[in-house]
Amino acid sequence: MLTVLVTGLAIGMVYGAVALVYNVMFSTSKVLSVTTGHISMLGGVFGAWFIINLQLPWYVGLAGAVVVGAVFGWLTDVLAIRRVLARSDEHLWLLSTLAVATMVQQGVGLWWGTEPTPFPRLIDQAFGAGMADQKFWLPIILAILMAIGLELFYRRTLYGKLFLAMSEDAFAARARGVSTDRIRAMSYVLSGALGGLAGFAAGQLTFAYFALGLTLTLNGFIALAVGGLGSNIGALVGGALLGLLNAYATYWFGGEYQQTISVGLLMVVLLLKPEGLFGSKRVRPV
Amino acid sequence: MKFCNAKLFWKLLLASGLVAGSLAVQAQPIKVGWLSSLTGPLSASAIAENQGVELAVEEINAAGGILGRKIELLTRDTAGDPTKAVNFAQQLAFSDKVNFVIGPVNSGEGLATTPMLARAGVPNIIIGAIDELTDAKKYPRAFRMINTNMQWILTANKYAIETLKKQKVAVIADTSGYGTASAKSAIALLEKAGIKPVYSVLIDANKTDVMDEMTKARNAGADVVMPWTAAAGLLGRLINARGEMGWDVPIVGHPALMAAQIRKLLNKPEYWDKTYAAGYTSTTYLPDGKLPAPTQALVDKIRPRIGGGEIDITFWWVALGYDTVKMIEHAVKKAGSTDPAAIQKAMEETTNYPGVYATYSYSATQRDGFPDSGMVMNTANTFKDGSFKLAPN
Repeated sequence: MLTVLVTGLAIGMVYGAVALVYNVMFSTSKVLSVTTGHISMLGGVFGAWFIINLQLPWYVGLAGAVVVGAVFGWLTDVLAIRRVLARSDEHLWLLSTLAVATMVQQGVGLWWGTEPTPFPRLIDQAFGAGMADQKFWLPIILAILMAIGLELFYRRTLYGKLFLAMSEDAFAARARGVSTDRIRAMSYVLSGALGGLAGFAAGQLTFAYFALGLTLTLNGFIALAVGGLGSNIGALVGGALLGLLNAYATYWFGGEYQQTISVGLLMVVLLLKPEGLFGSKRVRPV
Repeated sequence: MKFCNAKLFWKLLLASGLVAGSLAVQAQPIKVGWLSSLTGPLSASAIAENQGVELAVEEINAAGGILGRKIELLTRDTAGDPTKAVNFAQQLAFSDKVNFVIGPVNSGEGLATTPMLARAGVPNIIIGAIDELTDAKKYPRAFRMINTNMQWILTANKYAIETLKKQKVAVIADTSGYGTASAKSAIALLEKAGIKPVYSVLIDANKTDVMDEMTKARNAGADVVMPWTAAAGLLGRLINARGEMGWDVPIVGHPALMAAQIRKLLNKPEYWDKTYAAGYTSTTYLPDGKLPAPTQALVDKIRPRIGGGEIDITFWWVALGYDTVKMIEHAVKKAGSTDPAAIQKAMEETTNYPGVYATYSYSATQRDGFPDSGMVMNTANTFKDGSFKLAPN
């Protein structure tokens, strides 16, 4: 049973990390980009490419994965968000980000291949360590560090406060002289870097696999919705809850119910507490 | 006299027209549509099959074609997508008006294209293993050259029960349509043999850790694990879990257990020991270390085409691809034309046609040409130059 707990928690924290990435993007643009999981997929694939194929040290691979994630985050803003938001208030970003996500997945499939490939060991540790294996605790620790880092960023830095200002009211922020386009682009670069980092930390668990993006996009969104949109602690709790529920459901009932239970959790939360476990009911005064 | 000459003139004109028409038909190429997923999922097998298909077409055309008609190969990359496969199948059948269609490669695509090609009346060489792809009544011109999924399962079950003498079976499959159906068939066949699996489970192919399932299998007392999935990631994780548990139990099942991709996913190479998969007589080394003569001859032809070194692709796919085109040659020669009804009759009358991959037989009611005798069990980690060693008996 301990294995179920640890494996469920590990993958749950990967979902939680993806939910954090959603939060960063959402704070400045009010967009839930379909590319979110694909950023992490790129982190895993490029991390493996840098370390295994190019024989670079793991820390260079890590830096490379973060840079690739950041660049893709920025491209997401340029290609799928900026012009759509400038022209329309409708939710066309759903289609534009879906298009970019699909193109990236296809491109990676053609370049990297469609079979899962191994991700290198990052720390010298023998296989057979069981629940103490780095593939489990690396994503758990990273997700917690990401959440703490983001909280500090929002509370202690000027740019963090600008993110919060845009999150509260982008029009008011713009009226006070904030360059909202630039801050939004920065948030996409930051979220890309964090997504790349999350994918890199989870690589040993997920393998470097081109089709991982959509799974992470969906499960990251469920974690976010369960925890509460905008809440970093909610993202982690939602992710952990989802991961554990999936793991125990598979353990007790078999894998055929895994997806049903994930989406069922989303439905239950949406019906009983639409703002999520840690979300706030925002009432806009008129 | 003048009248007679005019009559003769018209007769000669008619005769020459008929001869010219006949020659024109003779000169027309035989169009073969090749639905191949050269990119996307299962592209590795499609790329290997394509080597065999192209070689056979080149050989036949270099020898003057079939009944004086060259083969025109129309390759369409379906990328493993059933929608694309159907669109390409329609294009091949109705726009390109092909005489034959080979493929598609994936069973999922085949489920979509086979009924469509049957309605169009185009002879279809089936290379998907899922059992539902052939039916003498519903798809009379669809002839399968690959083995059926049931043959894989039967071969693996027989090996586990009769050769390894295992009675406590754990059946593990993925949650895809293929995995679910295969697990059901495998369990039914085991129960028919008097063995009730001690544990069975379906796992999402992307599940990141399978230690729980393997622990449950061990706790249930399993003495053999039989996975039914083509997902390399899941198979790699199952083998790794067994290794890290230090569980000394054989893994017996799907041919994907032997895939080169598995080797890369293993935490330690030795984790691959005691893993056996359903394979083929044609690509299994004989006791003297040699391959069967037809396979070796094809290996010698293919090797220069892929760089001249060691063959790093699973060779049975190449052999299957090669045989599909040679079977078309056989059918056209036997039928004397490319008339679909005549081709169907010629195929139905084909018995013991010697290919490289297998020796094929069909009948009026039999559309699965691959014989049970063409199946063997291989040791998974013995890949060498495209082929494998026989599993221990």
